[in-house]
Amino acid sequence: MKTITQLFLLATLLACQSKPSAQSDYPRMIGDIAFDKEQDDPDFKLCSGDKRAIQYYALSEKPYAEEKPALEKHFLDQYDAEKTTRESGLIRIRFLVNCEGQAGRFRIMGMDWDYQKKTFDTSITDQLMSLTKSISKWKGFSSKSRGLDYYNYLIFKIEAGQLKEIMP
Amino acid sequence: MIKYTYLSIVLLLGMTRLSAQDNCYAFYLAGDTCRYQACDFLEKAPSYFQLTREYHLIKDQALAICPEYSDIYRAKSTAYLKTGDFIQWKKLIDKAVELNPIEHLGYRAWCRFQFFRDYQGTIDDLEALNDLIDYNPGPCQNGFYNLNIAMALCYKMLGQKQKAIQIIEAHLADETQYTGVYDNLHLGVLYFEIGDLAAALKAFEAQEASGNLAENQYHKARVLEKLGQKEAQKEALEQALSLYQNDICMFDPYGHQVDKIFLSDIEAALNEL
Repeated sequence: MKTITQLFLLATLLACQSKPSAQSDYPRMIGDIAFDKEQDDPDFKLCSGDKRAIQYYALSEKPYAEEKPALEKHFLDQYDAEKTTRESGLIRIRFLVNCEGQAGRFRIMGMDWDYQKKTFDTSITDQLMSLTKSISKWKGFSSKSRGLDYYNYLIFKIEAGQLKEIMP
Repeated sequence: MIKYTYLSIVLLLGMTRLSAQDNCYAFYLAGDTCRYQACDFLEKAPSYFQLTREYHLIKDQALAICPEYSDIYRAKSTAYLKTGDFIQWKKLIDKAVELNPIEHLGYRAWCRFQFFRDYQGTIDDLEALNDLIDYNPGPCQNGFYNLNIAMALCYKMLGQKQKAIQIIEAHLADETQYTGVYDNLHLGVLYFEIGDLAAALKAFEAQEASGNLAENQYHKARVLEKLGQKEAQKEALEQALSLYQNDICMFDPYGHQVDKIFLSDIEAALNEL
């Protein structure tokens, strides 16, 4: 009995030491994008639910159906730098792609070259968001048992309003 | 084959660093009680995927034990890096650099280059690191480049091609350092871009001897075109196509490298013959 009590106490102690607190501001996974009825398309559906989306770098191949030059052309042919303010920094647009290759839940973030949060003028961000949403060539992926949804993002390098590079 | 070798290296490096599991006993022997206790805590804690809430909560608990344990900030920063959250990534990696600049400046520099194409920021970090050390800064995180080569590529992207060439040539002349898998390729492209075709060809041939890849043959074909060697140009492009179709080309799961080419580049060049 004494041994059992000691084992129970030890197990409790170990559990207390290693189990992280449930109270936190962290999302389930860093970078999770929850559905927001104010800004997201309610018709965009994930194939395997919110908790099973993977990251783009875990895919077996690059997520765009064509190679990067075609993606760059999509933006460079249509982005009009003449209409923009002369701002510089990085803009990231992150989103989910479902197993059918449809994209949704777009979120935008900007920074200056000190890596501080920056809200770019809409003359830049509206164009980039609109062009990102108009991409129709994201690949859909499936495993043997289910359709795969994944997080993807594009980062745009902007210099004086000009679109200089697209990553990744 | 290059792709799978690369993936293996990435996975191995990821396992050794991102788990933030140092040799705890080394801290103990050094009398570093703070890091020993935090390290010991992490060693006994369950493992979680680096993006999960649990992973970060455990790391936070370890930081509560030892706030000076810089590796933990770096480990936490990776989740933000890989999800493109440059702002939160930078806050965390800056903390790691502040606590241990020699250990983390090279890593921060590499991430600025690989993920954000922040060429000046990469150069600034590597210059700061070189001011602190009197030895070679060593390889980048994925092992494919020496950090000096990364610096050279940043100078190239900022238009300082002669400076980039000088750095790469100095690196290749240093017999104590390994030649990276793409070093001669980048050197050849740089020479081509400044119009030194003989030096470009020499570099591409060195790359061919140490590890041929589609990019090397493609850029070599550009030199051969300038030299008016049509047959050799065609042969190089056909090799480039074959290598590309067999996945023997530059590959990075997180993005695209400098001087990378694509199937459309090769096909366009072949169509122009």
